[in-house]
Amino acid sequence: MATTTNFQKTEWDTLHRNGPFSLKLLQVTELEGKANMPSSVDRYNDAAQEIQRLIKEAHTNGHGFRPFGSRWSMSNIAHHRDRMHFNSFMNIDLTVLPSDVQANSDYDPSNLFFFQCGNTIKEISLALGAHGKSLKTSGASNGQTIAGCISTGVHGSALDVGSVQDYVVGLNLIIGPNDADIIYLERKTKPALSDAFTQKIKARVIRDDALFNAVLVGLGSFGFVHGVLIEAEDRFLLKRYVRKIDKKTALKLADTMDFKNSNFKIEGETDANGKPKRPYHYKVFINQYVDDDQYVVEAMYKKPYKTPYPDPFTAIEKSIYRDLIYLLISISEKFPKAIPWFIKRLEKSILPDVNEETVGTLFETFWDAPYQGPAFACSFGVDHKNSSKALKLLTDLTVNEGPIPGIFAMRFAKQSEATMAFTKFPITCVIEIDGVLWQKSNKLIGLKEFSTRMIEVLQQHNIPFTIHWGKNADWGFPGLVDHMYGTHANTWKTLRENLLSKEMAALFSNDFLKTIALSDNVLTPIGDGVIAPIV
Amino acid sequence: MQSKTKQWIHRLAMVLLCLFFLSCYSVKLVSVNGIPNPDPNNDSDNGYRNQRVIVLDTIVKAGSTTDVISIRTQREGCESGKLHSVEYKNTFGGSLLYLITFGSKRKVRIKYVCNKIEN
Repeated sequence: MATTTNFQKTEWDTLHRNGPFSLKLLQVTELEGKANMPSSVDRYNDAAQEIQRLIKEAHTNGHGFRPFGSRWSMSNIAHHRDRMHFNSFMNIDLTVLPSDVQANSDYDPSNLFFFQCGNTIKEISLALGAHGKSLKTSGASNGQTIAGCISTGVHGSALDVGSVQDYVVGLNLIIGPNDADIIYLERKTKPALSDAFTQKIKARVIRDDALFNAVLVGLGSFGFVHGVLIEAEDRFLLKRYVRKIDKKTALKLADTMDFKNSNFKIEGETDANGKPKRPYHYKVFINQYVDDDQYVVEAMYKKPYKTPYPDPFTAIEKSIYRDLIYLLISISEKFPKAIPWFIKRLEKSILPDVNEETVGTLFETFWDAPYQGPAFACSFGVDHKNSSKALKLLTDLTVNEGPIPGIFAMRFAKQSEATMAFTKFPITCVIEIDGVLWQKSNKLIGLKEFSTRMIEVLQQHNIPFTIHWGKNADWGFPGLVDHMYGTHANTWKTLRENLLSKEMAALFSNDFLKTIALSDNVLTPIGDGVIAPIV
Repeated sequence: MQSKTKQWIHRLAMVLLCLFFLSCYSVKLVSVNGIPNPDPNNDSDNGYRNQRVIVLDTIVKAGSTTDVISIRTQREGCESGKLHSVEYKNTFGGSLLYLITFGSKRKVRIKYVCNKIEN
């Protein structure tokens, strides 16, 4: 039997110390050992039973319940003041056989893989690598769990691929304590798994496009995401280049995505006519405190996998004394004018080396991110056509009303089908400012005020935007979610109400959901006035 | 005369301080394909946050003929028995102890994280 250990904790915090937040109970579930229960399917179903037991127990005690994985989110999306469940040890992967896939499915069975919620991107990448496969994209690193990634919309900078949730094919949810509360959900228009598989995991099947798209970026509120079916692809290599290019060229590329007619040309990355190729990944780094006419950019091009290739890892890596960073921050709180100077001095540690070139798989390229201490990150999604305009507004704000200890970057991701994906534009430009967490002082603007001002400035200039669910923001800004998602927010709420019982909707709600007004009851029907039935 | 002695003591203290800082450093070996064993109760800020870290801080008595000291991973907190990372810390005190005891007492300060269990 899977076992759960209870820890009577009073506080919980994110990995980057964006809390602390109050807590009543931390629960950690560990699976039955392979020696006692050799079948992976049996251990998976055994874990499902244990989760149902915990849900029932939480409900009986009038508590809410929320799973979390690597706690990388900086917002309080993963937090619940009652019970929090650590699911990282739930890392089974189940084999999908050709007979497990529907005959009329468009998916190649050899590309379908089923992972339990607690598998991290790194674990999944290693498992796929053993089959000669790869994820299509990941975030900038690999420590997030798959359930956490899709629930918050983790993205990389793959212009024509999208985010992590965009290669999810099916979801296994636990939405309550009863047998019928174990659900396998996939799109009706893109069926994948046959009864042979869904019966193994004892799941009731729902095929519904609208519901699937709503659950995909479910903000942890559509029940317990127990398993995720993903579509992988053949393993590939990424050739990575770091260059310092003219600022105007870098911004024009961001606004147009027209690489073919750009003068950003890398030797060897041109087509038969000598025109620049479109990269797989494009990222721009911006130190807003330096008036430089050049920006550091990172471009990656997809290549077929073949060995040998040079080792992409640097053998020796040095890190800065963390105490030194804390000291600089303390000085900055008293003397904010020193921040740009500190950032310039630390540029070498923050930015990649110019003219750096590496080759590696996706997993090797977006490898481990060591814990660097308390940190913040604000991340806005805008239509890439508005990239340079939005960037100017946000960097001007940072310079004029700051400074704050962080620097900007721009990444790009293709539109997601998920109802509440923050990558909602045809190509979303993600403008992010990352840095070290600081304390507000009478000379230095606070993170909360800075976050509010970012929203206000974009609104004042009529630039449509979204915000990364897992990042720092003024989430309580009036009408924020309606402003960002309009009718989609209503659709999402309605579909959630249709799927979950009232009791379970309350159990899987948290402060974050209340703050953004998505846990409210919805009376307005979706679409043409008919609430989609769950079949 | 007294002020000269004071000056020398001051200088010696400075040298010792410098030696102390210079001889205190860490080297960490990290496995490229390892998955760190997670620990949601580890809220430390020392770079091992959220990881199940095992600290070994001891003095090992060694004979004059002892060459290598082998240390095995413990079961508790390291159920996989496989290593993700090992950090070795060298301190001035450790080096001094080794020198004055002619190697018969060796300060061992190791932090290691095992791999997460594969299911």
